[in-house]
Amino acid sequence: MHSLAKDKEGPRVMYPITFFIVTTALLFVFGLVALTIKRDLVRLLIGIEILFNAANLFFVALSTQHVGMIDPLPQSIVMMALVLDGTVIAVGLALALNVFKHYKTFDIRKLRRLKW
Amino acid sequence: MVGQAMIQTGLQLPLPLLISLIGAMATPFIGILSERTGMKLKEAWFVLVSAASLGGVYQLYNMVKAAPDGVLLLYSWGQAPPLSGCLEIDMLGVYMSFSIAFLGLLVSIYSISYMEHETRVAEFYTLVTFMIAGMFGIAFAGDLFTLFVFWELMGLSSYVLVSFLKQNWGPIEAGFKYLLMSATAGAFLLLSMALLYGLTGTLNFGMLANSIRGNPLTPWTVLLFSTLIVGFGVKSAIVPMHTWLPDAHPEAPSPISALLSGVVIETGLYGLTRLLFVVFEPSVFKLPIAALAVLTMTVGNLLALLQGDLKRMLAYSSIAQIGYMLVGLSAGTVYGAQGLFLHVFNHSMMKGLAFLAAGSLIHIGNTRNIEDLKGIGRAMPLTTMGLFVSFMGLGGVPATSGFISKFMLFSSAIEVGMTWLTVIGVLNSALSMAYYLRVIKTLISDPIDSMKGLKEAPKLMVAVTVVMTLVVILFGVWPEPAVSFAESAAEALVNGFNAYIGAIIG
Repeated sequence: MHSLAKDKEGPRVMYPITFFIVTTALLFVFGLVALTIKRDLVRLLIGIEILFNAANLFFVALSTQHVGMIDPLPQSIVMMALVLDGTVIAVGLALALNVFKHYKTFDIRKLRRLKW
Repeated sequence: MVGQAMIQTGLQLPLPLLISLIGAMATPFIGILSERTGMKLKEAWFVLVSAASLGGVYQLYNMVKAAPDGVLLLYSWGQAPPLSGCLEIDMLGVYMSFSIAFLGLLVSIYSISYMEHETRVAEFYTLVTFMIAGMFGIAFAGDLFTLFVFWELMGLSSYVLVSFLKQNWGPIEAGFKYLLMSATAGAFLLLSMALLYGLTGTLNFGMLANSIRGNPLTPWTVLLFSTLIVGFGVKSAIVPMHTWLPDAHPEAPSPISALLSGVVIETGLYGLTRLLFVVFEPSVFKLPIAALAVLTMTVGNLLALLQGDLKRMLAYSSIAQIGYMLVGLSAGTVYGAQGLFLHVFNHSMMKGLAFLAAGSLIHIGNTRNIEDLKGIGRAMPLTTMGLFVSFMGLGGVPATSGFISKFMLFSSAIEVGMTWLTVIGVLNSALSMAYYLRVIKTLISDPIDSMKGLKEAPKLMVAVTVVMTLVVILFGVWPEPAVSFAESAAEALVNGFNAYIGAIIG
């Protein structure tokens, strides 16, 4: 990771990244734990949102790892990725509403009619 | 400034992508128009867009063939690559888009007849066209972010299409499971993008290929490898991540099942193949992919044996076929990749045919249970014949196209010294015949009472299945054009690397 810091003239400011890596890892674990132990459909979707945001945070944090500049590429990508996962969650919520219509519950464990 | 550049260079999009995107956006308006006038405008428009995309692929084929080093680089206004997103089209992209457009055209003709009595048909056509546009975009993408955008376009349309018949509980449940798993995989893909960016500072395929490839593995690259496998593996149903597929594919409307099994999961596999070849040496991913291949085909075949539901059995058979394709990827040679892509095309035809024929049987027989369909084959000889040929192809019987590609896949594993993989593959192939033949036997034995007096499916549906049957047999007895096309695609992937990189770096 540190090899990216090129020795150029200019202010030698580089944001410390260890903190962000740890936060990303923690968020990813939280998201995955939420996906495995939560029963509520909406909470599962929130888990997915946490996963997406962990990846986005990592992206933005990495964009600061150039000496003297902040790379605009990841930032524009993250803007786009936010829109994309927003739409995924919107479709997910719409499906969750339809699940409620058929099953009268938001409990994922009741969605077990399809087997094998 | 930007506007000026835009006017000068124009908004360059490859023709198939342009046609399907514009076509999809126009479909709702055409739908309103056809309701007002009472004519079948939207059906005509849908088929027209699919056919024009196929024509666009042909034009693209000629352009790529005429390009000096076999690579077309397209980008719209603003920065030039590697700083901007771009579309980079080589023979492999053309090959994949041909498979997508060909199956797309056949499925669109079929679905006109199939969706006749459904409501919200214009929305259905819009979503299908967007899904096809997403797949074109993935095949043409020149950097990982462009791929991700089209990946989500394909994903979003397919979630909605799986749960399209929302008045039943099955599609809704399957669609939600599909969305949960695929969206999680999307997050992993985004993480792998972040890792790649952190390691190399770029997402462009050409620049990526120049940086990590050939360097020794570090913990970061191992993490990258696993996130890539998870990110692409869920969509392409590699086994520990396959559980959404046997729910989603049977519950979707039959034309969508054909598209999902025929090209969507293969597009996922294409993404995985492209990324693995760009980022890693074949020796790095050889053994992990071989292990996944064994797991995928064995689990797929064993679970397919247990199914009583015709479409669910076909869905498990798709998982097994993905396992066979992974054999070609794990070989990592031109020959292996050639087998892989030939099987992608052949499988799109065979599995598309199987799902469409099964769809006709279910449409007429009104049940998905194999035992309840007993004897329906006598009333519907042409459709059953199509199903039979596709099963022979999927099982790898000579004189069908499945034999040629399976032969290539398995012999490519011997070539690189993985004879054990070939043995497991051939045994699996033999095992798969057990459930195919059981279905055929049930379909053509003495009809039970509820299956008497039925008629053949609507003419359009039968016509599509007959055409696909002929294609499967044609490429079985005369495989030369498909084989050489797949070879040039595989050459572009494995050996055309320098041209691919050179188009970016210049």
